[in-house]
Amino acid sequence: MKDINSLPLIMVHDVDYVYSNGTIALKQVSLNIKKGEFIAIMGQNGAGKTTLIRTFNGLIRPTKGSIYLEGENIDSKTIATISKKVGVIFQNPMHQLFSNTLEDEIKFSLKSLNLDKEEIQIKVDQILKEFDLEKYRKRSPLNLSGGESKKLAIASIICRDPDILVFDEPTLGQDAKEINFFLGLIKNELKRGKTIIMVTHNIEFTIEHAPRIILMGGGQIIADGPTQSIFTNEFLISKSSLIMPQIYLFKKELQKIGITIPKEVIRESEIISFLDNYLESKSTI
Amino acid sequence: MSLEFLSAFKFLKKETFLHNLDPRAKLLLAITYTISALLFQEIIPLLLLLITLFPVIIIGRLFKKWLESVKGMSFLYIFIIVLNTLFINENGLSFAIAMILRISIMISAFSLFFLTVDPNDLALSLISMKIPYEYAFSFSLAFRFVPTIAIETQNIIDAQQSRGYEMQKKGIINQIRNLFPLLVPLIVSSIKRAFNVAEALESRSFGSKKGRTFYYTIRYSLKDWIFSLYLIFLLTFSIYVKINFMLMPLWFRWSLPL
Repeated sequence: MKDINSLPLIMVHDVDYVYSNGTIALKQVSLNIKKGEFIAIMGQNGAGKTTLIRTFNGLIRPTKGSIYLEGENIDSKTIATISKKVGVIFQNPMHQLFSNTLEDEIKFSLKSLNLDKEEIQIKVDQILKEFDLEKYRKRSPLNLSGGESKKLAIASIICRDPDILVFDEPTLGQDAKEINFFLGLIKNELKRGKTIIMVTHNIEFTIEHAPRIILMGGGQIIADGPTQSIFTNEFLISKSSLIMPQIYLFKKELQKIGITIPKEVIRESEIISFLDNYLESKSTI
Repeated sequence: MSLEFLSAFKFLKKETFLHNLDPRAKLLLAITYTISALLFQEIIPLLLLLITLFPVIIIGRLFKKWLESVKGMSFLYIFIIVLNTLFINENGLSFAIAMILRISIMISAFSLFFLTVDPNDLALSLISMKIPYEYAFSFSLAFRFVPTIAIETQNIIDAQQSRGYEMQKKGIINQIRNLFPLLVPLIVSSIKRAFNVAEALESRSFGSKKGRTFYYTIRYSLKDWIFSLYLIFLLTFSIYVKINFMLMPLWFRWSLPL
């Protein structure tokens, strides 16, 4: 028998998905995701990104091919069972908030985990504190601001402690403070050994923080690899209708005045430190 | 659960006799069949009514879509059979089947209407029936949002299922309680969308001019009159049959012994 740690956490094998109106959303998609990875799925609208993440917790079942979770085919498993391991957080938080209070909203997510009342209360207190929502605990979720309701939607999935967190456009419509909060959250979850998958159009955020990118187009995977190699490949970026990152254009401009920054240096912090060293070496001369 | 069956209520552009009929004639079809279906509680007359819809469905080349709409309501049919057989002692099963047929007729008639009427034509036809433009526009707008709401409902179901919500729960109380996680977000987002649409319309000076002219106009043609006369005949005949129901042959009044 194979050791469970040697298996990919999620294995997508030759998956096709065709909607009832005949639209082919996924075509021969295959990929492996290891435990503890942080992956960004990118591509133009209609590329199949959201359809792909919906197959991860069984919301939609592939027309062809299979999805394996920890080596087990999820085909025969219910959404309720899979969602204990795979938590999908959707783009619009208003699609899931309905309870009278924030506290009840979190409790609803915990109900299906067969916990006793005290355990549920402990978890509710803990998660509201972690997400800085304690002060609103008795307030209606419908009266929260956009950023706060997004936080609550994330909290209502994280409280279930799934091994895999899948975010659909987590930074969309968020201000800088909220994006920073989200960043802190994913760093924390990664430290706890969780696997993070994020569908996004936010190039700058992805470059800075996600080590691996899956580029999609026309229902297929166009490229899958380290961020450095993908965001320095102009052909791939234009093929997936994305635009080259600001930082890449900045590097190109610097090159025109004779400062060549190595190809693999693409993050803001790396470029700052490279330029610091460069200027220091110049001044010493 | 999938709400894909709601696509059976979304306008589908085709070139058929039914599609080319005036929207008012098709509205008359939906109303005629609904009233006729409500007149009867017996299997045979309802079955005959449903059969009379088949040629219309075939002419409109909509058999597949119609089947989807009927199939999509199968959970409701099971619900009707179980409830009626449990709670109605006399002829419970017969009554349940009759109710299923009645609902099927009404769904089919409205499905035909939604599938074949362009929302823009609907507004025009309502205006020609002397309904104020604001109301006619609102009606056609509501009509246009049916598929949007269907997509939104599916998204809500997906979002709730992702946190362990189970759609099928045992017991009627549980089933009703189970609707709240779906209905509250749906109502809230629908109200929000309504406000957004209203603001978008007002920012484009909606209603600033009372008199309106229209690029397209619609007219009741000969084929519409013939179709409408057929429907009026059908409705009159249904009412006649209902009034003289006890005089009808025994096979017509047949019901299951259960």
